[in-house]
Amino acid sequence: MSAPIIKIDGISKSFGTFKVLDGLSMQVMPREKLALIGPSGSGKTTILRILMTLERIDAGHIQIDGEQLYHMERNGQLLPADERHLARMRQKIGMVFQLFNLFPHKSVIDNVTLAPILTKGMPRAAAEKRAMELLDMVGMTDKAKAMPAQLSGGQKQRVAIARALALQPRIMLFDEVTSALDPELVEEVLNVLWRLCSETDMTMLLVTHEMGFAHDFADRVLFFDRGKIVEEGKPDEIFRNPKQERTQAFLKKIIAAGHRV
Amino acid sequence: MTQWSGYFGLILQGALVTIELTLMGSVLALIMAFLAGLGRLSRFFAIRALATAYIEFFRGTSIFVQLFWAYFVLPFVGISLTPLQAGVLALGLNVGAYGAEVVRGAIQSIGREQYEACTALNLGRWQAMRHVILPQALLVMLPTFGNNAIELLKATAVVSLISLTDLTFQAQVVRSQTGNTLVPFTTILVIYFALALIISWGVRSLERRMARGLDGVRV
Repeated sequence: MSAPIIKIDGISKSFGTFKVLDGLSMQVMPREKLALIGPSGSGKTTILRILMTLERIDAGHIQIDGEQLYHMERNGQLLPADERHLARMRQKIGMVFQLFNLFPHKSVIDNVTLAPILTKGMPRAAAEKRAMELLDMVGMTDKAKAMPAQLSGGQKQRVAIARALALQPRIMLFDEVTSALDPELVEEVLNVLWRLCSETDMTMLLVTHEMGFAHDFADRVLFFDRGKIVEEGKPDEIFRNPKQERTQAFLKKIIAAGHRV
Repeated sequence: MTQWSGYFGLILQGALVTIELTLMGSVLALIMAFLAGLGRLSRFFAIRALATAYIEFFRGTSIFVQLFWAYFVLPFVGISLTPLQAGVLALGLNVGAYGAEVVRGAIQSIGREQYEACTALNLGRWQAMRHVILPQALLVMLPTFGNNAIELLKATAVVSLISLTDLTFQAQVVRSQTGNTLVPFTTILVIYFALALIISWGVRSLERRMARGLDGVRV
């Protein structure tokens, strides 16, 4: 039994008076594919944002790969992490956003090479070679010179995935990556996720409303409601045979809305 | 019959001084705008306070008084400037204060999601600013910078009051020597207007060049 790559221990997070996460604990094993599902406002996206250091926690601890994320150990004391520590920890994590967040003033290939060149000091030629391999994997080589404004939503998201992969993170976070797409563009992005899932050994956390995909993709499904994990288990257990009333109600609603399970 | 050609020569010399002042003043204004604009967004209170004080002071006092200060008061503390230096200093600092707010506003207009993408890609604060935020913000700043440059051009007329031989100064010389008001002042009116047109046109073509490829994103 290896050690968990993500260990979340009693974290809380409030936005104003709204408590999004309330003493949440969870663990993720290396290579595990995790689907986080639940109603909006349940805190699932917030967990990804906290892991990416886009939000700070009010209480609790997080360990990534055995190291504290928001704390530094100095002479046996735990101190709040400084920017250098956070930058080092971020190297292990990549994130793909719902709205792609591509850099609109940079071409597709420059979007992918920017961070490796700046943060890893990679020579441009090497970064471009690697970028082309990644663009090939997401099926975007022919658009390498295009600007983001010339791409469809699905294409943008595939570029965004390549961009996040360019830093070779061990953990990838996917935050509702198909929610902003037209229905006919969802599949091309899900196909890319499939490839990542089967061809790499990254740990992947996926927040999604695509229940069918979550079922096929995930090793484990976590159902969130009001900042807590209400139920977790293998996809079959959660989707076919949910034990908790709230999980049942949520899935019923989702199915009624036309999502395949 | 007045010998106009000699007087036109004078006015053209004045135009050169005005252009020189506008260019040098704009460069200083641009530098001050970025320093103070970025300063207002600094993490450090002292830098924010300094930038805010500069902006409020130079926006809140008249360019006219600032110029007199630079030229007539600074010598009392041992700093003697030539009229040109005093003119560039006053114009640059004054317009730079307005420009600083343009820089700040443009940077803040760039969406949160761009900053978040930078964090997710582990770019440092300065790397994010330099490679992602500023290139996009620059496009937002440009039209207002064009306005500011034209304001600066027109404000150069006040330097005639500290005996700098700019367009306005030369027009007054011509007027006092010929007794004719209409010709010199109409001439400089046209020249100021032509210079302003050149600035507008320059900024617009710069804008077009920078916006290329960004279609539909932000202009």
